[in-house]
Amino acid sequence: MTPAAFLPWLVVAMVAVAAVQLGRRVALWRSGRPAKVDWVAGLKALPKRYLVDVHHVVDRDKSASRMHVPVAGGLVAASGLLVLGLIPALAASQLYWAVVTLAFLIMAAGVVLVGRRRYPRAMKRLSLGRWQRFPVYLGAFALGGILTSALAAFGNPVPAIAFLTFVVAAAGGLMLAYEVATGPMRHALAGATHLVAHPRAARFEGSRETGLRPIDLEGDKLGNETPQDFAWNRLLSFDACVQCGRCEAACPAFAAGQPLSPKHLIADLAAAQAGGHARPYAGMPYPNERPVAGSAGLHARIVSPEGMIHPDTLWSCTTCRACVEECPMMIEHVDAIVDMRRFQTLELGAIPLKAEEPLGHYRGCDEPNGRALSERTDFAAGLSLPRIAETGETDILLWLGQAAYDLRGQRTLRALIQTLNAAGVEFAVLGAEERDCGDLARRLGDEATFQRLARQNIATLSAYRFRRILTADPHALHVLRNEYPAFGGDFPVIHHTAFLSELIAEKRLSPASLAARAITYHDPCYLGRYNGETEAPRSLIDALGLERREMARSGKRSMCCGGGGGAPSTDIPGDTRIPDIRMSQARETGASVVAVACPQCTAMLEGVTGERPDVKDIAELVWEAVQAGSKATASTSAARELEPA
Amino acid sequence: MKSVVLLSDARHPVSGRAVLSRLEAQAIGLGTALGGTLTGLHAGDCEDGVQESLGHGLSALDILSLPPEADPVSALTDFLKAQKADLILAGRRGEGGFDSGLLPYALAEALGLPILADAVALTPGEATDTLVVDQALAKGARRRVTVRLPALVTVHPLAPAPLPFAFGAMRRGTIRRHVAEAADASTDPVEERPYRARPKLMRTSSATASAENLHVGPEPEEAARLILDYLESNGIRRYG
Amino acid sequence: MTRPRIDPRASRTEQRVASGENGRRRYDLSSRTASNPIGPPRRDPRQEWAASLIDRPGRRRYDRSQRPVARGGASNVEAARVGSAAEAVSTEPTVRIIEEPAFLVFAFVDAPGGRLSRFDRQVLGGARLLADAGGGGGAVVAIVAEEIDGLGAAGADRVMSLPTNGSASARAAALRAAIETHAPRHVLFAEDGDAADCARRLSVALGEPLFSNVEHLTARQVVRPNRGRRAELAAAPPRLMTLGEDRAKMHAGAPGEARPLEFETAPSDDQAILSVEIIPGDPARLALSETDFVVSAGNGVTDFEGFRELAALMKGTPGASRVVCDAGLMPRGAQVGASGTVLAADCYFALGISGAPQHLQGIAACEQVIAVNTDLHAAMIERAGLAIVQDAQLVMPALIKLLKERQS
Repeated sequence: MTPAAFLPWLVVAMVAVAAVQLGRRVALWRSGRPAKVDWVAGLKALPKRYLVDVHHVVDRDKSASRMHVPVAGGLVAASGLLVLGLIPALAASQLYWAVVTLAFLIMAAGVVLVGRRRYPRAMKRLSLGRWQRFPVYLGAFALGGILTSALAAFGNPVPAIAFLTFVVAAAGGLMLAYEVATGPMRHALAGATHLVAHPRAARFEGSRETGLRPIDLEGDKLGNETPQDFAWNRLLSFDACVQCGRCEAACPAFAAGQPLSPKHLIADLAAAQAGGHARPYAGMPYPNERPVAGSAGLHARIVSPEGMIHPDTLWSCTTCRACVEECPMMIEHVDAIVDMRRFQTLELGAIPLKAEEPLGHYRGCDEPNGRALSERTDFAAGLSLPRIAETGETDILLWLGQAAYDLRGQRTLRALIQTLNAAGVEFAVLGAEERDCGDLARRLGDEATFQRLARQNIATLSAYRFRRILTADPHALHVLRNEYPAFGGDFPVIHHTAFLSELIAEKRLSPASLAARAITYHDPCYLGRYNGETEAPRSLIDALGLERREMARSGKRSMCCGGGGGAPSTDIPGDTRIPDIRMSQARETGASVVAVACPQCTAMLEGVTGERPDVKDIAELVWEAVQAGSKATASTSAARELEPA
Repeated sequence: MKSVVLLSDARHPVSGRAVLSRLEAQAIGLGTALGGTLTGLHAGDCEDGVQESLGHGLSALDILSLPPEADPVSALTDFLKAQKADLILAGRRGEGGFDSGLLPYALAEALGLPILADAVALTPGEATDTLVVDQALAKGARRRVTVRLPALVTVHPLAPAPLPFAFGAMRRGTIRRHVAEAADASTDPVEERPYRARPKLMRTSSATASAENLHVGPEPEEAARLILDYLESNGIRRYG
Repeated sequence: MTRPRIDPRASRTEQRVASGENGRRRYDLSSRTASNPIGPPRRDPRQEWAASLIDRPGRRRYDRSQRPVARGGASNVEAARVGSAAEAVSTEPTVRIIEEPAFLVFAFVDAPGGRLSRFDRQVLGGARLLADAGGGGGAVVAIVAEEIDGLGAAGADRVMSLPTNGSASARAAALRAAIETHAPRHVLFAEDGDAADCARRLSVALGEPLFSNVEHLTARQVVRPNRGRRAELAAAPPRLMTLGEDRAKMHAGAPGEARPLEFETAPSDDQAILSVEIIPGDPARLALSETDFVVSAGNGVTDFEGFRELAALMKGTPGASRVVCDAGLMPRGAQVGASGTVLAADCYFALGISGAPQHLQGIAACEQVIAVNTDLHAAMIERAGLAIVQDAQLVMPALIKLLKERQS
């Protein structure tokens, strides 16, 4: 027998080792909570999910897609071909070995590209340690495979050398298989399974599914304390992590030096199942890392100074979903964070004291600032703002949200209301019947308060007739549109940017051109990433004749302002502040105005001190243009160019 | 040690909804830190608000059912006599009734207990059955009093913030309901009417024209002298 | 008691003011005269408005909360009157002596640190109001624990010293004895601290109701909130009352004589109290919400070692603006403003802070503000009672030097 004849058996051995190793993980996953998984649909969708959705994300980093296609393709092709080599007739064919060699060559080319990402110096976001040795095993398997099968293709002229090369291939291959339990190769098998059994099956093929899932408040334990409190396919998803660090590079909290790295967090969660990291975590540490004792296990509390993850890490998250957007393995970091926050808040009451304040107000008066619901419309004194209770029905129901209590937010709302009046829109507000939508409570883990508010708001909304809900707050938009349906509240909701661009398209508004100003638009996370709405605001800016300049991070990959997820309330100290980072990105465009479409973003970006562009909500810009337009039509010299106010 | 926290029928100042008074939540925090068993006690008919206390750290809550207008002192006295608690905690002013803050004093009198007001910290004393109470005084001063237990202590708003609320803990807490004899409240010869907010004295700087106290570009030494003189003449601080 | 008769003609004549050329008669109706010693003076609405004008540039603002006497010690009404009347009333304060008081009003004076606080003065002012009620002739008795300056100016006719050994129950027992001996018509306490505690001990011991937390005090009526401010109770002033903070104006008229009123009482001991120790507050460690004096740094401060030294020397609590806290130069807990701590301090010393709106919200309750800033047009300079346009970095070392000189 030639050494090459052992290659198929090597693959069989590799599969066996990998199966044993993966079996250890499967046993861990099975201790998670049950979850409904449609296996047939998942398996059917797997190729598409992998080739379209995953590849779409991987391909954002060209160096990654260029290396992954040959490495993974070569490895799978070579291994598959080699299994066929168990057929004696095929094993005797020199042509067969030539084809195998070709597959190994493709893989080897990929390995070179992998190596270039890591040697001489690895990219900053990549993990080191065993991840750094990973290309060596891949290389050994590929090189050994090439030489062994090539020698077989040439009729095995020097068996001694072939034997040597086979040993190299076997060493590399078996190491790869062994790594399946806790090493880099885990991502391949766990990742494929994850794509089949993904907890959010609806997020694939271009659609978005971003609403948090409700929990049963009558359950034994609220929220997730230990690894086994996670659904089994969530545990699986943590194992899918390939530690590419894209999440870390996108994370605003990480950038601001707060002790959060999504990659580290997921690695910790994966390690927590099996009692801790098998080898020390080899990525960048949490910025300003808080020490933890690191006790772990299926039944050990994860978030605690004694456990794997420090509470400050959990409370640094702004729930901006940048990590989820960037993750090529489709891991849902934010779900995991909120599930763990729920346990902290609902069961332990272990929430930063400053964040307990809004939650206390929620319990007391349904409003996180502790203001009376009847004061919500106070800002609109002198504006025509009908209450829906007077008529019982309207075309557009305007959801005011928290901005109505904030001086800055009120300016935006006034502009919006005046614009609606100018366009002759039939609209009304709930007035004192509008409770807070509960966004902040839910992101801070207070599911009990959120569910109460959701049910009460749905009951209120169901009592009236209207066609659509209009809101200027993307957080309210997201909650009403994506999270209330779980409680029986299915209402069509539209953001003011989309609505205003509709009005302009229908020629119900005739804004003048506000030329001669450079504007950059900051996408709110809850509008862009959560709801995929990035076009309407841009079309509005273009319709106003403004010069639009894009920041390096924009659209669905935009960077958070730091205002979401209750982060301003938990206020975990870092090296700098997230809005300062975002504002410096805005400054780089040289724009004189940052256009925003969210009261949180407005507040956070306006809080940046020093020389900076103005912060204006798009509603304010539109109202400015509409005013200028009506002046222009009134005056006879409509042709002259309008100066911005 | 066995402690009892008195819970009143507080209302949220904005919504008017029944809630746990913050002071009493702080009292629970102080009592929890002391250790031992800590239960809540409410006399009245308001369960919605006081059950929040279970989410702030109490494990059990006793409710003496009384009509809202009844005088709770005798019912509370009877119950507390049977409880034989070492320490009774209360907010410095209960809410919901006459808001006079007299109830703890009336109880202390009826039970024959010493009463200490305005506690911001509690620590067990060196000897058994003693308690060290830090009382808040003006300007951050504290009076540290060692008292022999049993005693009644009321809590000051400057006590540490309450333990955050935990919904799960509230769900698991026990509520024990007791029937109590209602005593008629003494009818006050005072007129009750809807509340009207009245202006407070404004605290603005004394009207000594800001023009004459505006100094543009003085020598630093002169500025320093002006500042110290201003502080001393307004009685803020005295130096030297 | 009989009231002296008023001779309107005589008082008119006395009120006549020397007038100018055309011989038109002019009167100053606001001046009190010998022939008209009692009775309320006539109101001059114009002067009242003028007096309640808050002296501050920009839009005119009025403080009408305490008519007709203006805020803060020196009465503006008085000043306006002196200015307008040609024959000025003597500005020398003459001590008012009540030899034979018709009745007594006790005012419990806490005076932390041996100095009358603003709240103590308000209690004395409230007691004065009650003592002058009806026909007047009542005397205000200040109940103190130690010797205190300025009681007379604050309106006290008598001073009764009740010794304290730190035990609240002993003090209440002594006061009870004094009440039983002197039978005051009213006993007024501050709704705060030891005074509030003592009031309740007395109420229970005497079996008398306590009208607590009075928000509106006149000679005829007192009003207090009830049921968590959903209702209020009104009554004629009863015997035992506690007064809410900033609810009664301080005494601004002629000073009382503050004559000692001896009262002997056997000191009693509380068996349950084993030890009492006073721990003075350390301004450097106090919470911002509790301190009375904040020394605060903003963008104009670069030397934070020096700043901390200065705050310690000035016996103030260090605070900072948001920018400084964001930059990590001061801890987050030191942040003053709407998003940090909203202060209740008496005095705020702002070094190099321009005064963003959110920051000014945080110091809205501060009575005295001192600002040092390079920008003459900064909002903080406008807000300040003492404004110094100068570089804070230069003023700080000068202050440190001067403080060290004075303290040595």
